[in-house]
Amino acid sequence: MTRSSDNRPGPPSENPVTPPSVAPPSVAPPSRRCGDTGSGARATETEGLARAPSRRGRRIVIVGTGGQGALTAARLLCDCLVEYGHHVVSGQLHGMAQRGGSVHTSIKVDCGISPVIAAGRADCVLGFEPVETARALPFMSSQTVVYMNTAPVIPFILGQRAVLKQGDGRYPNVPGLVDSIRAVTAQVFPFDATRLAQESGSVKTMNTIMLGCLLGSGLLPRTAEEFWRTVTRVMPPDLVKANAEAFSNGVKMGRKFLPCEMSP
Amino acid sequence: MSVAVGRDILQDKPGTRACLLGNLGIVRGALEAGVQFFSCYPGTPSSEIGDTFARIAKESGVQFEYSVNEKIAVEVAFAASLTGARSMCGMKHLGLSYANDPISTMPYVGVEGGMVIVSAGDPSVITSPNEQDQRHFSRLLYYPVFDPATPVDAMRMTRYAFGFSETTRLPVIIRPTARVCHSNGMVTLGPLPSTRNEIRFTKNPSRYVPIPVNARRMRKELTQRFALAEELLAASAFFPRTGSGPRGIIASGMAYAYAAQVVEDLGLERAVTLQQVGAYPIPEEVLTGFLESVSSVLVVEELTPVVEECVSLSAFRRHKQIPILGKHGGHFTEPDSVNPVFPVEFEYTPDLVEDVIRDYLGLEKRDRISVSVPELPSRPPVLCPGCPHRMSFYMAKKVFGKKTVYCNDIGCYTLGYGEPLQACDVLLCMGSSITQASGIARMTGKRVVAYIGDSTFFHSGLPAIANAVQADDNITAVILDNYITAMTGFQPSLTSRTPGSDHDNRQSSIPNRQSPTAARFSIEEAVRGLGVKEVYSVDPFDETTTLKAFKKAKKGTGVNVVICHSPCAVDRRRRDRGKRRPPFAIDQDLCNACSLCVLALGCPGIMVEDGRYSIDQDLCDGCAICASVCVQGAIQPVVSVKT
Repeated sequence: MTRSSDNRPGPPSENPVTPPSVAPPSVAPPSRRCGDTGSGARATETEGLARAPSRRGRRIVIVGTGGQGALTAARLLCDCLVEYGHHVVSGQLHGMAQRGGSVHTSIKVDCGISPVIAAGRADCVLGFEPVETARALPFMSSQTVVYMNTAPVIPFILGQRAVLKQGDGRYPNVPGLVDSIRAVTAQVFPFDATRLAQESGSVKTMNTIMLGCLLGSGLLPRTAEEFWRTVTRVMPPDLVKANAEAFSNGVKMGRKFLPCEMSP
Repeated sequence: MSVAVGRDILQDKPGTRACLLGNLGIVRGALEAGVQFFSCYPGTPSSEIGDTFARIAKESGVQFEYSVNEKIAVEVAFAASLTGARSMCGMKHLGLSYANDPISTMPYVGVEGGMVIVSAGDPSVITSPNEQDQRHFSRLLYYPVFDPATPVDAMRMTRYAFGFSETTRLPVIIRPTARVCHSNGMVTLGPLPSTRNEIRFTKNPSRYVPIPVNARRMRKELTQRFALAEELLAASAFFPRTGSGPRGIIASGMAYAYAAQVVEDLGLERAVTLQQVGAYPIPEEVLTGFLESVSSVLVVEELTPVVEECVSLSAFRRHKQIPILGKHGGHFTEPDSVNPVFPVEFEYTPDLVEDVIRDYLGLEKRDRISVSVPELPSRPPVLCPGCPHRMSFYMAKKVFGKKTVYCNDIGCYTLGYGEPLQACDVLLCMGSSITQASGIARMTGKRVVAYIGDSTFFHSGLPAIANAVQADDNITAVILDNYITAMTGFQPSLTSRTPGSDHDNRQSSIPNRQSPTAARFSIEEAVRGLGVKEVYSVDPFDETTTLKAFKKAKKGTGVNVVICHSPCAVDRRRRDRGKRRPPFAIDQDLCNACSLCVLALGCPGIMVEDGRYSIDQDLCDGCAICASVCVQGAIQPVVSVKT
């Protein structure tokens, strides 16, 4: 059959671009949300004057190196949040990404259409690698919660560059990197996630440990149990099994390091 | 219900909300519009569009091909459109320029089935040699150009563009920037159509043959069709105006998303009228309506001031004298607040957009804490462990020496740039290694080496070889055949085997065209057919033969070709389910830390820590190239080494 001739383009029936900016009705915000002014902030708005930047929603930055599973982690997080009706936008700093390169992804939950997080506006940074966590410093503020893996991934040719007389070839001192982050936010929680992953079955589950931290912290509008339900649905059973212990260890870690006023 | 898609782009559950990558939004939009033909040449950041079509081609019934180059992709897709098919082709911004010849005449001839060209942009020059603003194709060649701000836009615009193209008979360009291609956004899936355009080619030479007598008539019609396009766009949903304030902000592309975010975050809805420009030409009535409702204008758009100039012209025509601010400095009313002003180069950031908007509205500057970032080691892209290009570069340099000029081309092998391989003295664009070698060799009188990969060779290296042969240029073209288009994500090249045809190691993990009998191409026969007499085929890991071939080529006269055949190390492992050759290690008793391996190869598998050399067992691919470089014999297969 041919397309009928009256199939002329007309205005599409959908509304213009602006996506729904309200939190989905089914979602009861957790009682312990850090720094959230909720949608009530709108009431204080004065015509023509800017109020303090909205803190609605959640802005998560996940950084690491290629092969650490940062993109998979971001994908799973999006899958879960979308499944529970949240408005999610996410983006990655693109580049000639290949194994070993820097990976940076951002996820914004219920807060607008731009996938890029502005300087100092991240609510949480999941740092899979110390140098990459420090690279995310411009996104942090005193309100940012940082879960940071202290196990370094040495850049491939760091030592070789010293041989070629391009720098001293040394990986920065990790406690020094932690300090540089602590200078911005007190809520930085460094721990050896790679070792914890090993103890949980495999080094490859490090990204699951870090996701567990985030879900355990209560920073997200969904619970760890809800997240894991999504994982069980979208991942092959053998992977779910291989990651289960890592996830629960990560959640414990997140609960142990409860950020700011969330501590009991 | 909401689901995350990506895995299941073909699901037919209208109303489903999904979080979709921009590039996948484009695929879904095309599928919902009933696309019947898709061709592309891969190029970051557009590659996922073609790769997705490659995977779903059979199931969806879309005719698919990875074309040999973008010009061919456009021409095949255009001809498909002349049969009534809704056709689409994908490429990056540079590909659009490569295809400029057919593109410039297509609007004259006009399409039958709707035709959409997706040309992804790369502001900030992340994975390209330049950035460019394809929105100019609107004025340059009479193309409606859609400029999505989000994956949602990308999907809706693509879906709309096919019917729009049929009505106006104009081919259409969709220009998502890399940010849009590679961000995820929430979309609502529409239905997949149950019917498709009827396919029939009806002869009508005066309509399809743009010889001057016809072209002059077509030219007149083109003006009318372009006017119709503007009229339809004015009624479209791609120019939403929000807010009610007297201060105008007009924005396009990802910069619109940033501006909308600032308006939302700062609660400026009643101070500002925000106008999105989603397509070009910008309908005059959109500009008029916007200008009537505001007392000043801030234009927020990346790259060239396309919107800014349209707004300025429209205001001028209307004798509307209001401040129009954007990229042109000095417009700000307060003398001391002329900065920040928008730059013409690189992509914007949310911070820049917020700063300028605050400045524009006279709001106080953002309270920004200064964050000091310590000096951090970078992680630049390098040739992978086991990469055959490294061996080819190393061997060629051994023979041709440091003084020879090495012209390089577009692909992974560009990473031969700099220390230690020094395999890239000149670079311009796809296929330019051979032509640049010609120019330099002819003027300097010295033999020049050109490096080019298999996919790039078929893309635009063939005419370059013919040109060099006819001029008898003194060049050695080294064709690096790794059976794959590796840099853009392992798409098949003409030397790849069609999956399933046989067990040869030359196959891509992404399916190629639908025909399982697609021919296997021989670079040897191709260059011989073009008149090259001296052709050497080698495996670069076979040191003796390769050195011999390069030595002969160095002594040769005129054009000679060395073809280095060896599969891409990463793709080989992907296909072999991670299986690697046994790794090597450095015998610490024998290593005298002479650094030769590092200075010659720069393989990321070699680690140097406090003067101690070792090989990362996880990275090593067992290619043994470092073992052949080591004069101490310290590098040996891991089984026989004391570390």
